[in-house]
Amino acid sequence: MFHWLEKNPFFFAVGVFLVIAYAGIVTILPDFMESARPLKGTKPYTVLQIAGRQVYIQNGCNTCHSQLIRPFKSETDRYGKYSLSGEYAYDRPFLWGSRRIGPDLHRVGNYRTTDWHENHMLNPAAVVPGSVMPKYPFLFKKNIDLDTAYAEAETVKKVFDVPYDKPGMPKLGTFAQAKKAVFADAGKIVAGMKNQDVKDAYKNGNIKEIVALIAYMNGLK
Amino acid sequence: MQSSNAINYDYTVAKYFTISAIVLGIVGMSVGVLIAFQLAFPELNNLFGEYGTFGRLRPIHTDGVAFGFTVSGIFATWFYVGQRVLKVSMAESKFLMFIGKLQFWLYIIGVAVAVVSLALGYTTSKEYAEFEWPVDIAIVVVWVLWGVSIFGLIGIRREKVLYISVWYYIATFLGVAMLYVFNNMEVPTYFVSGMGNWFHSVSMYAGSNDAMVQWWYGHNAVAFVFTVPIIAMIYYFLPKESGQPVFSYKLSLLSFWGLMFVYLWAGGHHLLYSTVPDWVQTMASIFSIILILPSWGSAINMLLTMKGEWGQLKENPLVKFYVLASTFYMLSTLEGPIQAIKSVNALAHFTDWIPGHVHDGTLGWVGFMIIGAIFHMAPRMFKKEIYSKKLVEAQFWLQTTGIVMYFTSMWISGITQGMMWRATDQYGNLAYSFIDTVEVLHPYWTLRAVGGSFYLIGVFMWAYNIYKTATSSKAIEKEPQYATPMA
Amino acid sequence: MDMEFIRNIQGWGYVSMIFIITIGLYAYIYHLYKSQRDGVKDYEKYSNMALNDEIDDTLVEAKDPQNDAKDNKER
Ligand code: HEC
Repeated sequence: MFHWLEKNPFFFAVGVFLVIAYAGIVTILPDFMESARPLKGTKPYTVLQIAGRQVYIQNGCNTCHSQLIRPFKSETDRYGKYSLSGEYAYDRPFLWGSRRIGPDLHRVGNYRTTDWHENHMLNPAAVVPGSVMPKYPFLFKKNIDLDTAYAEAETVKKVFDVPYDKPGMPKLGTFAQAKKAVFADAGKIVAGMKNQDVKDAYKNGNIKEIVALIAYMNGLK
Repeated sequence: MQSSNAINYDYTVAKYFTISAIVLGIVGMSVGVLIAFQLAFPELNNLFGEYGTFGRLRPIHTDGVAFGFTVSGIFATWFYVGQRVLKVSMAESKFLMFIGKLQFWLYIIGVAVAVVSLALGYTTSKEYAEFEWPVDIAIVVVWVLWGVSIFGLIGIRREKVLYISVWYYIATFLGVAMLYVFNNMEVPTYFVSGMGNWFHSVSMYAGSNDAMVQWWYGHNAVAFVFTVPIIAMIYYFLPKESGQPVFSYKLSLLSFWGLMFVYLWAGGHHLLYSTVPDWVQTMASIFSIILILPSWGSAINMLLTMKGEWGQLKENPLVKFYVLASTFYMLSTLEGPIQAIKSVNALAHFTDWIPGHVHDGTLGWVGFMIIGAIFHMAPRMFKKEIYSKKLVEAQFWLQTTGIVMYFTSMWISGITQGMMWRATDQYGNLAYSFIDTVEVLHPYWTLRAVGGSFYLIGVFMWAYNIYKTATSSKAIEKEPQYATPMA
Repeated sequence: MDMEFIRNIQGWGYVSMIFIITIGLYAYIYHLYKSQRDGVKDYEKYSNMALNDEIDDTLVEAKDPQNDAKDNKER
């Protein structure tokens, strides 16, 4: 058999492939079928939060921040209750991260406020001396991409049955309805902010990225 | 010897990819050095507005060196080694020549789109798989073309048996193909909803599942991009450069299978202490440890190949590159499983020890092999001797110093931070605020950035040396059989 | 199918895979050394594929012995 494999590169290739495939199937597939069932109380993101999550991803916040609290006392003391699989059921992609240059953010909504984020995102070192986090002034200038955020919500609803518009779950509705909801949500955040440009933009019908990002982080609990 | 004096090996495509390896190496590593300095001196984040922040640049660094520098190096060596060990020239097939060139140009287009899109923030956020779907499609096409080249060349070979390096190249091709496709399953949102940005997509998998697929990929991508093809290189370049046959060809076959079988199972170890079931974690740990055995088979085989010929280490700087590379390979394959031990991982995870570990593998093993391989290939491709041996020597020592600075500082900083995160005072309260654990790292981060700069300067020396070799070095009449001629 | 059942299959799939792989690998080792010792096949000569790799160097083992005069006869 070995002789034969050595001489038949094609079957050799098929063999390698089968082994890899089998390994993949056995290690992953079953965990997969146990589809990450949402925890009771875990809800899909609102459209504004999705927009904020997209901002988070675009700026690679996940390269410095984890969202995974491990079950050790030192971690739960610092960040709160340890993370459970079901809490991530609506996270596409997952944002666990791999390196904690900054602190874990999985429950940052429990201990940081809109107002704190506003100051911190503009100039982290001014709020936390010694911080190596970049400044994000441009988030106060750029508008959110509402279309893409809605597109994402609609896609996960249609393709993956994410329970928008179900009883007790966030509303999605048509784009027009969603837009109204986004403005209502954003209004609450803007009300807690001081930056005049952001407030003016909101009055003129524009939502800045920082608003969505804060909405997302406030929802991380 | 009569019939074939008309045919020569054709290195056109190998030369193309050599150039892209050098250029993308410079790009990827320069960005790496910049982000290393950003951690030490955060003001550097403001150089290019939103495009210059750490979070935007990091994927350009990681993907730039993985899919730019390393993959170019893999392609360049394949288009060189493949012909030689199969004893067939690309010039003998117009079709394969065309496919090779097509592959190169598509690759370049893909790289350009990838870099721009990452800078603009189009990213899926999954490590080593950040590209959005249009780039993914380009990558798949490039990869398929490479497959056509591999199997096409094998199809017209003269040598009946496939040399061990070819096995490793085939495994690279198949492994990466499958991993990449599965991990990048995504749904473009534009096509479902008819609105928004058409570049945007959502992952097919959610939450823990997504994490599982990602780390299955993440771990094996390391195997199939940073280990398997590099072993293919060393099995060719070390024997060829030193004139010594592989110590044991049988051992090479056997460690090939050892590596194939065992690597695949260790994917879970990046998930330690996450929400994945316990037994998967335990198994993953154990297998990571078993992993040492077969993967050392290759390293030991390489070092024993030099048995009785250690004098070459003094005379031939390329042998130095190869031998040091195997040593770093051993080091990082020892370190990896150690980090997979549960208690060690509890400390090391999320700290600098992980990038430290990655870098002794990538700088020491991958980088040195590709640099050394291209030094070996250049005189044969350009029919000129290497422009300056002194420069090669200087580069070697500078880069070695850089690597040592890099990993020692990262070890210390990783362990320091890991210990500080868990340290408590006498009442059991956390002893340090998070920012305390950041501020102590400043000196190590500075040292790391300087170490990285040394390595980068070495890469520039390498680029200059190759450039001068191609343009203004002394011509050689006959291709040398073993040691590479150097001025 | 309920999850427990699938988990079971997974466990067995895993264990049996390891089993087969280990036996396979050791059988292969045995095969390699036996073939070499009994003179069935000289594996070590394949190292020369890297060393003598000019296009007109002698082939270690020709793919197509009829058409290739350069074939150095096997054993
Ligand atoms: C270069 C790495 C880096 C990047 C990129 C980064 N951060 Fe940070 N972040 C840090 C560090 C270090 C700290 C701790 C010091 C501080 O609070 O500023 C921190 C702290 C924070 C905190 C405070 C958490 C707490 O518990 O006190 C928040 C919130 C935060 N970052 C959000 C973000 C967001 C949102 C982004 C992306 C737009 C981001 N960070 C990008 C490094 C980074």
